[in-house]
Amino acid sequence: MPHDHHDHDPLEEGAALRVRALEELSVAKGLVDPAALDAIVEYYERETGPRNGAAVVARAWSDPAYRDWLLRDGTAAIADMGFTGFQGEHMRVVENTEEVHNVIVCTLCSCYPWPVLGLPPTWYKSAAYRARVVREPRAVLAEFGLELPETTEIRVWDSTAEIRYLVLPRRPAGTDALDADALAALVTRNGMVGTAAL
Amino acid sequence: MDGIHDMGGMHGFGRVPVEAEEVFTHEWQRRSFALADALAWTVPFNADQHRHAIERLAPGDYLTIDYFEKWARACQMLMQEAGVASAEELATGRKSFDPDLGEHGKPPDAATVRRVMPRGAQLMFPPDTAEPAFRVGQRVRVRDMHVPGHTRAPRYVRLREGVIERDLGVFQFADAMARGDGPDPQHCYTVAFAAQDLWGAEAEPRGRVFLDLWEAYLDPA
Repeated sequence: MPHDHHDHDPLEEGAALRVRALEELSVAKGLVDPAALDAIVEYYERETGPRNGAAVVARAWSDPAYRDWLLRDGTAAIADMGFTGFQGEHMRVVENTEEVHNVIVCTLCSCYPWPVLGLPPTWYKSAAYRARVVREPRAVLAEFGLELPETTEIRVWDSTAEIRYLVLPRRPAGTDALDADALAALVTRNGMVGTAAL
Repeated sequence: MDGIHDMGGMHGFGRVPVEAEEVFTHEWQRRSFALADALAWTVPFNADQHRHAIERLAPGDYLTIDYFEKWARACQMLMQEAGVASAEELATGRKSFDPDLGEHGKPPDAATVRRVMPRGAQLMFPPDTAEPAFRVGQRVRVRDMHVPGHTRAPRYVRLREGVIERDLGVFQFADAMARGDGPDPQHCYTVAFAAQDLWGAEAEPRGRVFLDLWEAYLDPA
């Protein structure tokens, strides 16, 4: 639910007024249809998000042929699950292994795979994350509570063009008996960005 | 542009706010996000032009104002530049003239945006549109460019050498799209850089950083 919990923050009120004026003006000028605005918000909040990515990961863990397809042609394999659209037109999935850990960033703005992860969380858009994860990924991951062995090779993927990235996390031990739905419940957003292990 | 948005490698920003897990904390942020999506159809502008408008905010504003307020300010900038709104109108929210919407006509309705959102944008061109200048495994050096407009070659890789890891195919070129010059289709490559080649001997000995770089950014090493 929306919640405006800040008490009279003048910067916050200024932003709210600016956006309200922008919407009112845009509607008055015939530049936007308010029902389309509602549809956009509803679509991204209800139909995109990390549960989509989790379903992809769970299927890859359960089905070796799907995993191979996903790593070879992420766009097609993800589209096969019904997850397509803006900021996900071209997908690459990178796999974590015992030797390699992958982590995703957009140093120039906030590029992020919307169809499979939804819109990015605030930390992903923060100056500290964007500035530091390319230079000192191990230290940044430690701040997320992820301590990797010194022997692990860290690969950082900076989303500078039209490819959007998704990390295929390592499957947790002791999950052999779980079906795809139960596996998907174990998969977190941070796990698919690479700032957590599962 | 060599702006504040080009943050890769900068010092001084402190710890990552790892607890900030939310996407929206205020309703106006949802509206700002949706407005940027919807206005793109009718103003019109493309994603690269919207990104570049955000980059053109004053550096102090870029660092301090809310992410979704930046999206709204970028829309305001693009609306003024397109001549569909004046500064006074944007300040008050009250219309003083009707824009000429030309061939764009009326704004998309809910059913139209609902149909288009799962389709996304057409960003790629057939492989035979352009011959690749580089092959997988080849060493390349990023050109020393200081483009005043939008560019997607971050400062931290300029003049650095890396290896072509993948030829991604032919894509529209963000720099040209942001200028409104059309797609200038060309190959885009994933280029792998050794962390120590970017950050010196203190960096991860086996670490690598991968960037997707258009052909216009690259020279043979």
